[in-house]
Amino acid sequence: MTEMLEKERKLLERYGLVPEDIVYTARFDVAEDYRFTDGMILLTAEKMAVLLYPPVSGRDYYFGGYRTNPEEAGWEPALQIYDLAEVESLGIIRELTGGVLFGRISGVETRLCRFTNSHMGEMERLTDNLEKVKKKETLTKEDIEGKQRIERCPKCGTIYPDQQRRICPKCMDRKSIFARLASYFLKFKGRLVVMALCFVGTAVLNLVYPYLSGTILYDKVLSRNTEFMEFLQIPGMKFGVLLLVVVVTMAVSKILMQLLGIIHGTITATIVPDVVARIKQEVFQSMGKLSISFYNGRQTGGLMTRVLDDAGEITSFFIDGVPYFFSNALTIIVTAVIMIRLNWQLAVIALILLPVLTFTSYKMMPRLWHMYGRRHRANRSLNSQMNDNITGARVVKAFGQEEQEMSRFHHRNDNVRKAELDVAKYEIRFYSVLYSLVENLTSFMVWGLGAILILNDSGLEFGVLITITGYVTQLQGPLDFMSRVFRWWTNSMNSAQRIFEIIDAQPEVAERLDPVRPEKIRGEIEMRHVTFGYEKHKPVLKDVSFHIEAGKVLGIVGRSGAGKSTLVNLISRLYDVQEGEIYIDGINVRDMGFRELRKNIAMVSQETYIFMGTAAENIAYARPDATRAEIIAAAKQASAHDFICKMPDGYDTVIGSSGRTLSGGEKQRISIARAILADPRILILDEATAAVDTETELAIQESLEKLVKGRTTLSIAHRLSTLRNADRLIVIDDGKITEQGTHQELADLKGTYFKLMELQTKALALRE
Amino acid sequence: MQEFEFNEEELKAESEQLQQIRYLTKENAVFARTEGGFVSLEYDGKKYDRVGVYRMFPISDPEHYISIREADEKAREIGMIVDLEKMPKDTAEMLREQLRLRYFTPQIEKIMDIKDEYGYAYFHVLTNFGACRFTIHMGGDSVVSLSDSRVMLTDLDGNRFEIPDIYRLTVGERKKLDLFI
Repeated sequence: MTEMLEKERKLLERYGLVPEDIVYTARFDVAEDYRFTDGMILLTAEKMAVLLYPPVSGRDYYFGGYRTNPEEAGWEPALQIYDLAEVESLGIIRELTGGVLFGRISGVETRLCRFTNSHMGEMERLTDNLEKVKKKETLTKEDIEGKQRIERCPKCGTIYPDQQRRICPKCMDRKSIFARLASYFLKFKGRLVVMALCFVGTAVLNLVYPYLSGTILYDKVLSRNTEFMEFLQIPGMKFGVLLLVVVVTMAVSKILMQLLGIIHGTITATIVPDVVARIKQEVFQSMGKLSISFYNGRQTGGLMTRVLDDAGEITSFFIDGVPYFFSNALTIIVTAVIMIRLNWQLAVIALILLPVLTFTSYKMMPRLWHMYGRRHRANRSLNSQMNDNITGARVVKAFGQEEQEMSRFHHRNDNVRKAELDVAKYEIRFYSVLYSLVENLTSFMVWGLGAILILNDSGLEFGVLITITGYVTQLQGPLDFMSRVFRWWTNSMNSAQRIFEIIDAQPEVAERLDPVRPEKIRGEIEMRHVTFGYEKHKPVLKDVSFHIEAGKVLGIVGRSGAGKSTLVNLISRLYDVQEGEIYIDGINVRDMGFRELRKNIAMVSQETYIFMGTAAENIAYARPDATRAEIIAAAKQASAHDFICKMPDGYDTVIGSSGRTLSGGEKQRISIARAILADPRILILDEATAAVDTETELAIQESLEKLVKGRTTLSIAHRLSTLRNADRLIVIDDGKITEQGTHQELADLKGTYFKLMELQTKALALRE
Repeated sequence: MQEFEFNEEELKAESEQLQQIRYLTKENAVFARTEGGFVSLEYDGKKYDRVGVYRMFPISDPEHYISIREADEKAREIGMIVDLEKMPKDTAEMLREQLRLRYFTPQIEKIMDIKDEYGYAYFHVLTNFGACRFTIHMGGDSVVSLSDSRVMLTDLDGNRFEIPDIYRLTVGERKKLDLFI
């Protein structure tokens, strides 16, 4: 129940409405002059009250996504009270943004209030609840609260980015995901150790090289440092030899660095594909187990690309991100320490601007990501137009609209160009300007201070100066990396979360642990008081009961959207019923093993599914072990044999997405052949002939008749002629069975079926 | 079970009626305000207690081609008005009132703040009907460009907000919007 302010309570009491009597409250938010305001409609057992505040400027109104709105408007509300006896009914006129509540009050349609879509749910419940209150029914919790539309994290209140996944990116446990991901790489322990060594080696060489090229070369060799000579035990002051040794060492360390890079690259190349493949395999395996409802909730295509991209994202983070993180951190710390030990004054000057750099990168980064996002969107829009044009090339040509399409393309292409340009500009500003500025400034300062120190004879050697400037340049890479690694980590953990979610998803329709596995099924089907809806509170089927004996044909008739296809989907347990039971041979389908259940049910529907493969493979889909002779027999029965033979490669012709395209009727016949070969006890025909012309229908009809013989068949059809040999018929309307019986019984009933029959006969007569 | 009333003549008449264009003019149609704040219509000998008023081109031509429809669920078209200007003044006014009702869309005049986080953008704006906060989904089609300068936003609840001309916003405000257009 919405909380009520003290002054509202007082006002209501003054007019004899005790807040405790209020059974339902709906809020609204738009005034007569359209300004945002506060108001509510209250229901008690006898009265309905409309309470309205005048709009107040200077305060914010909250719509969905923001949390509740407890603020107090500073004005006094107006109140209008109606007796429920006068309120005949309430109705809503839906507008684009919100709606209007009107009531039929003492015979006059009266506008009661306006509201935005944010209150649509409450208002809809108000109209229902009024009916209930008038009938003296008690309101249930759901009547009052409804369902929360927007799912949010209970911990921090953030809206879940994906409403179907109750995962909060703020509160997600990234560490455990990381650990779980790391387990994928454990298999490659040996190689990972080598890789880590490569990183450490590279880091060390990175440190050594500036030292060699600076301190050693200038201060020790070129300045002919005798101590150093003795230290290396090179006798006789042969500086030529020493110089050679140092130069060779420098060259070798460069070569070593390259070598380490090659080794690291090779290892990466062997590990990455393996891990990606393993993750994809697990995802696919899990997707196979999931129920149909999982797929209905998502865009399948998007899902798949996302999974593939996600797998790549994770692996690249693990291969490039994690090791580089350690090696870079190591480089930064050790470099700083060495620099300080070499000469602390110079080190301070060299390092002083780096925090500034890191900070600015961190600040500028979000904008760069935004720009990448925009570029991505521009590209996506361009791609989708290309896609449209390629698939719709025929229409474009037929209407001669090439030029218009060209200009549309130009527009989008230009957007991509602009986005690219923006990114480039910003990147230049970001990397080139910012970085070279800091770099130049730093080295300028280092050189300047160095020069002063050397001139002042404060013990700084020229080589040390060279070494330190070398380190300064080298630090920039790692620092840049550090500024972006956090975002990278967040993204890849999100990717991982999405993948694990699929891998871990529990199928809604699950097989029992010890399922009944009957040897043979006769095919008797019974539905008892079945209620089912794709969404819990919107039943598509309501209290459906029927019974078919084994081997009989049941025809199902009804308008589109009446629930026919849903009904047959329940039998093969693509979904589980919410109430009631379905029995096959007296066994509840929930108790039956999936293998037994689905082996015995075959479906021929209007949506044919031809997968990539030869015609023979497609027919033998349900029974891969079928012999050639069996396949041919099935095709023959389905009248598919002739057209298959006429194709150049006969039964070996590759059909499906990238192969030869088949016509609707041909596809249909392949799927019928598939069903014939599967030899199921129960056959479901869901508008099997809806997509084909009359002639083909006749041919398919014949094949179907052969197929139906001896099997329990559920046949859905628009055209009643298709159902003429059904043993029993049921008529479904709005989720309920309204008529059932034989053809003759229904015709005598003179109900829906009769009317439908009459109409179709007339339509046929008209056609002739 | 009205849907199953298949009467051939009736069906034919109905589809013919659907295909016919009927113009409502000041000569043949009489609109009147109802007591409850709606609009009624007398046309072709029939009286409609409440009618729906729709625009056919709500964005490109809001003043022309107004469709007058029955108030029930099916909203069958009674007729169309080509030009609101050509109707009597008070009729045009009451129809515009109904249009305002139907096409009620707050126009954003000032953007105080936009924050984006985890796939949602949280707006704090001033509209012509008052200040408000709302949330949109970042992906998908919650932001639609109607022209180079006109933008329509749809929030999580399905409420629509319009920015009639983004160039009337300040540079700073446009920058906040940059991510969406």
